[in-house]
Amino acid sequence: MGRKLLFDKAHIEGIRYYDVYRANGGYGSAEKALKSMTPEQVLDEVKKSGLRGRGGAGFPTGMKWSFIAKPEGVPRYLVCNADESEPGTFKDRYLMEFIPHLLIEGLLISSYTLGCNSCYIYIRGEYAWIPDILEQAIAEAKKNGWLGKNIQGTGFDLEIYVQRGAGAYICGEETALIESLEGKRGNPRIKPPFPAVKGLWDCPTVVNNVETLATVVPILRIGGDEYAKYGTGKSTGTKLISACGNINKPGVYEIEMNISVEEFIYSDEYCGGIANGKRLKACIPGGSSVPILPANLLLKTAKGEQRMMTYESLADGGFATGTMLGSGGFIVLDEDQCIVKNTLTFARFYHHESCGQCSPCREGTGWMKRVLHNIEHGKGKMSDIDLLWDIQRKIEGNTICPLGDAAAWPVAAAIRHFRDEFEWHVLHPDEATKRNYGLAHYADPLEIAAPAAV
Amino acid sequence: MPTIYIDNKAFEVKAGKNLLEACLSLGLDLPYFCWHPAMGSVGACRQCAVKVFKDEEDTRGRIVMSCMESVKDGLRLSVNDKTATTFRSQVIEWLMTNHPHDCPVCDEGGCCHLQDVTVMTGHNYRRYEYKKRTYTNQYLGPLVNHEMNRCIQCYRCVRYYRDYAGGKDLNVFSAHNHVYFGREKDGVLQSPFSGNLVEVCPTGVFTDKTLKEHYTRKWDLTNAPAVCQHCSLGCNVIAGERYGQLRNIVNRYNSEVNGYFLCDKGRFGYEFVNSENRVTQPLIRKRQSEAVNRATLMQHMSTLLSGHTLIGIGSPRASLESNYALMDLVGKENFYQGIPDDLVYIEQKIVDILLSGAIHTPSLKEIEQADAVLILGEDIWNTAPVMALAVRQSVMKTAATHTTEQVAIPLWHDMAVRELVQDAKGFLANMTVTASPLDEISASTMRAAPDDLARLGFAIAHILNPSLPEVPDATDAVRTQAMNISRALQQAKHPVIITGTSCWNNALVRAAFDIAAALDLTEKRAGLAFVMQDCNSLGLAMMRSSSFEKAITSAERSSNVTAIILENDLYRSVPAGQADAFFSSCKNVVVLDTLHNRTTERADVLIPAATFAEADGTFVNNEARAQCSSQVFMPANSEVRESFKWLSEIRSLKTTAGNGHEKHPDEILQALESKFPQFKGISRSAPPHDFRFHGARIPRESHRYSGRTAMQANIDVSEPKPLQDDDSPLSYTMEGYRGPAPSPLIPFFWAPGWNSGQSVNKFQLETGGSLKGGEPGVRLAEQTGVTPVFSRDIPDAFTARQDKWLLLPQYHLFGSGELSVYTEGIASQSPAPYISLSRHDAERAGLKEGDIVTVKSDGKAYSLPLSIHGSLPDGIMLVPAGLRGMDSWSWGGWVNISTVKV
Repeated sequence: MGRKLLFDKAHIEGIRYYDVYRANGGYGSAEKALKSMTPEQVLDEVKKSGLRGRGGAGFPTGMKWSFIAKPEGVPRYLVCNADESEPGTFKDRYLMEFIPHLLIEGLLISSYTLGCNSCYIYIRGEYAWIPDILEQAIAEAKKNGWLGKNIQGTGFDLEIYVQRGAGAYICGEETALIESLEGKRGNPRIKPPFPAVKGLWDCPTVVNNVETLATVVPILRIGGDEYAKYGTGKSTGTKLISACGNINKPGVYEIEMNISVEEFIYSDEYCGGIANGKRLKACIPGGSSVPILPANLLLKTAKGEQRMMTYESLADGGFATGTMLGSGGFIVLDEDQCIVKNTLTFARFYHHESCGQCSPCREGTGWMKRVLHNIEHGKGKMSDIDLLWDIQRKIEGNTICPLGDAAAWPVAAAIRHFRDEFEWHVLHPDEATKRNYGLAHYADPLEIAAPAAV
Repeated sequence: MPTIYIDNKAFEVKAGKNLLEACLSLGLDLPYFCWHPAMGSVGACRQCAVKVFKDEEDTRGRIVMSCMESVKDGLRLSVNDKTATTFRSQVIEWLMTNHPHDCPVCDEGGCCHLQDVTVMTGHNYRRYEYKKRTYTNQYLGPLVNHEMNRCIQCYRCVRYYRDYAGGKDLNVFSAHNHVYFGREKDGVLQSPFSGNLVEVCPTGVFTDKTLKEHYTRKWDLTNAPAVCQHCSLGCNVIAGERYGQLRNIVNRYNSEVNGYFLCDKGRFGYEFVNSENRVTQPLIRKRQSEAVNRATLMQHMSTLLSGHTLIGIGSPRASLESNYALMDLVGKENFYQGIPDDLVYIEQKIVDILLSGAIHTPSLKEIEQADAVLILGEDIWNTAPVMALAVRQSVMKTAATHTTEQVAIPLWHDMAVRELVQDAKGFLANMTVTASPLDEISASTMRAAPDDLARLGFAIAHILNPSLPEVPDATDAVRTQAMNISRALQQAKHPVIITGTSCWNNALVRAAFDIAAALDLTEKRAGLAFVMQDCNSLGLAMMRSSSFEKAITSAERSSNVTAIILENDLYRSVPAGQADAFFSSCKNVVVLDTLHNRTTERADVLIPAATFAEADGTFVNNEARAQCSSQVFMPANSEVRESFKWLSEIRSLKTTAGNGHEKHPDEILQALESKFPQFKGISRSAPPHDFRFHGARIPRESHRYSGRTAMQANIDVSEPKPLQDDDSPLSYTMEGYRGPAPSPLIPFFWAPGWNSGQSVNKFQLETGGSLKGGEPGVRLAEQTGVTPVFSRDIPDAFTARQDKWLLLPQYHLFGSGELSVYTEGIASQSPAPYISLSRHDAERAGLKEGDIVTVKSDGKAYSLPLSIHGSLPDGIMLVPAGLRGMDSWSWGGWVNISTVKV
């Protein structure tokens, strides 16, 4: 059994409620931080833990917190990004739904560290029932003196507000999230100024993912140094992975970042192998926007090493032969899955979610969707594959926010690794509508053009 | 100045600019959409991509958006790099995926920025083979047409409408490639600056509905540089004609005056030129056949001249040439301004201040750059709309400058600056009689009677300069407000005070002067701007003639008076009773005017005058800038002539020396200049009539003008001789000098590859800067360092009277204005006449909203419905001024309510 830090008490009946949570050591970390540590000490622990942002980018949390500007007399804000809308990712939902007090405790410690007296949870609109759970937990915490004025007699004040999004994927981007939180249209801002200087309501703001903030609790409990002993190298600690697709046991797993991809897919502790006795075809290990990898490159890197469930190992080989850990939305495709159809599904999603601000993403995503739709439905041409490649190349790196990249990468990786399948679709339009291509060899990845600037 | 290397060539460029601005200022063709010189960069369209290299060795470089990158010394970039050009053409390909191929039926076709950029980037083959997305269009009112399918989502419209002009009802909706720019639901656009959308939009989403009524391809227009006729700001416009009809008006860039934008009244209020109500034939009334030809008219005029006392009534809306020609005809002592005594007094005060050289009067550009603005009494939103737009920019830019001083972000970086600025604003104090849309960006407002506003002004002046008298019996509230305003003005580097004549109160003008002069003594460059009532009010006032009341007295003294009234509907300029009195004491009334009105009805002789579009003329705007408005087209009807031509011809009847020589307008200006030293330099406001480039004139028609040989073919198959324009260097042909014309003579903006209005950047020294060769117009009043003489004369506090009200005019942007209401779309937005009282006053008098109230002004009774005005101070009655068919009342006087009908 892998060691657990977040879900260690998830199995306890009624852990959703304050009494049970408290009885099982809940709010212990908060008590420790608020009563016996200075904010600097807490920050130090977080830095020592090597915690990296769990939203997808993997930026060191301690470093992000130390960037926050501290002008006199200006309030600071902590925003919890619960706009979990990356297809294939549902780890935060589990956390908020079943252990809401873990998040609240994390928010309390983090706010204390950053010197924030107001904290916002921006939650995606589709999680319609979760705000109620959070509100209830907030009310419980408040009743028991963990929120509000003068928390536990320490003189620290904190209010947590839950704000629902309206269902836009782009509002998970931190600056668009801030815009949306301010009541505006959720278009990403151009940086600088960075949110750490001028964020929400023009004040210094830190935006962190739900899991990141919850992880602060075990870090304080066991200490930053101890936490850093979990995992491998710079991928310290545990990570929530939401596994889905053609596996025997889909669900949210907490893994220590020292297991291999193979173990994660095939061991009974985690996914339990490919469903229905099929074979593994491909996997998207970090949510829809990270590059898809064929089975041969997934289990072993191009160098022949075993691929591990860590930030570094998954990214090994760059985009040519690697991918990213991303937000931990682990999507597994078996031999019966059609890569073209899968890519179309993603393209449709990104087209729909493009905010419409800058041209490459606004126009390019819709075009890619249509081209993919044609190929999938037996109306494609060979030139369409090159056209797709051309469009995604021009989108990548040339947009205001990373949504353009996120839309371009899945298409790029699909063509790079599965070009033969695209070609088969074009050459056998009738057959392609009736059956799937199945497994193939993925030996000849496309030559990678230099990534575009910025 | 930093040096940058563009495709390995070194260029010196201005620091603080972005690369796009630098490239365009150097004359390079770099395509763009979302960037606008007046609105900065947001980096949304990705059209202006260039490649930037780290150093000389770097051959790979990286693509950046040139509008988002600052100029840095030694920076190396490539415009022509293959990756950059391919990317730019890819952006166009993206934008064209949904743009309809309807150029042949699009109003913008052939003068479209999108077309130009498409050609510029070289995109020509369509790889996108799917259906285009379509939208439902909205009804946006009578002036602006909406065709959303053409949209390329550059966001310029909402950025202009909301951020720049402060409008609220246009927004962006929906997402991805289905974003929609429009209103929440169909309806008239609320901003009076909505017409600029037509020029801001790079393609044909927003188009001019009035042009659509009588559409002509823009290159088929005969164009000339003109000056807007609808208020005193003198915005520069380009008017276009075809088939004897004025077809449209577009902005003529003048960095000192209107910059890139006009108000809707100026842009759309031109239909009066084409009106059926035009005077087209000389008439001699009380004869069997009233319509006469020119010879009969002249014969008749000569009988009216001999043995009669001549009285000339000038006009604040007629050109200086025409006013001077009338003065020349009747003699200086017999020439009167056609406006009431009170207004003449205030205007003289303003002329004295401006000509004294004691104070600096700012241009609109300087108002935009002011860092604190005080508006004293003038409702500029309605009386000088483009100035209100300038004040808005001052408020916004001041805040932006303050914030960007702390953070290293350039001002052109619009989105970042907006994030930084959020709701911070510069200082604006809006002290007016009633609420104004400017209040929402004001730091300080006050609603009071004009005298009280003036007292506040004097209180500010006293704080700024304690040697000035203190305002007696000032309330604490006034003292505090005066203290706050004076502090803000003191802290500013370039404070501007704005006042005007629309309150009919001279104390406001004096108070404003005292403040500005007191600020000047503290070594700031304070500006004092005045708003006048008509396009040539200041020009006429500078001629320093007597008021209309004096004309009545003089008419009553003699029994044999021939009055010559120049382009002035007296029933709109002076109270109706006075006009009647004047007409009854004149034996003969000669009226020169463009449109039939109540004054022309009283004329014994009516002479058809040319409108601004058919005339050359010089107008002096509110900052004493004399600007030349050129003739756009010659009226097909030869009986319609410029007033100064008629008047010169009539004058030649008096002298034997009249040898048929027609005076050119520049010769009239020279005569004016030699007679009145205050007009010194005015003849330089435009090149003389015989100015030529190596013998060539400047053509009014573009080289793309079509149908020249065919358009008259239904009348005569032979091509007619081109019309001869002897009065200006402009010609009525397609041929002539095509190079850069002197700025007052630019008939339209066009440059190779730039067929839309965006071509103006080829005419500027730098993007958003001045025109090559300087801005048109000559300023007649400059600060000379003369020691100011303070007024010190403080009026008593205003006290509401029992059963009597101070009568003040309320001007309406749409509605007040004799000429603009001939445009149906403007008339339809005009309010109906009303009488306004404060809520308290109405309750006290037992009146309800909508009650018909009868008020006597100058012996005439007027019955109008009551409109209760929430922000109006007690004791004041507000009546809309200058609505169609309404008399002028004795503004500034006291009136009582005689009867009430429920």
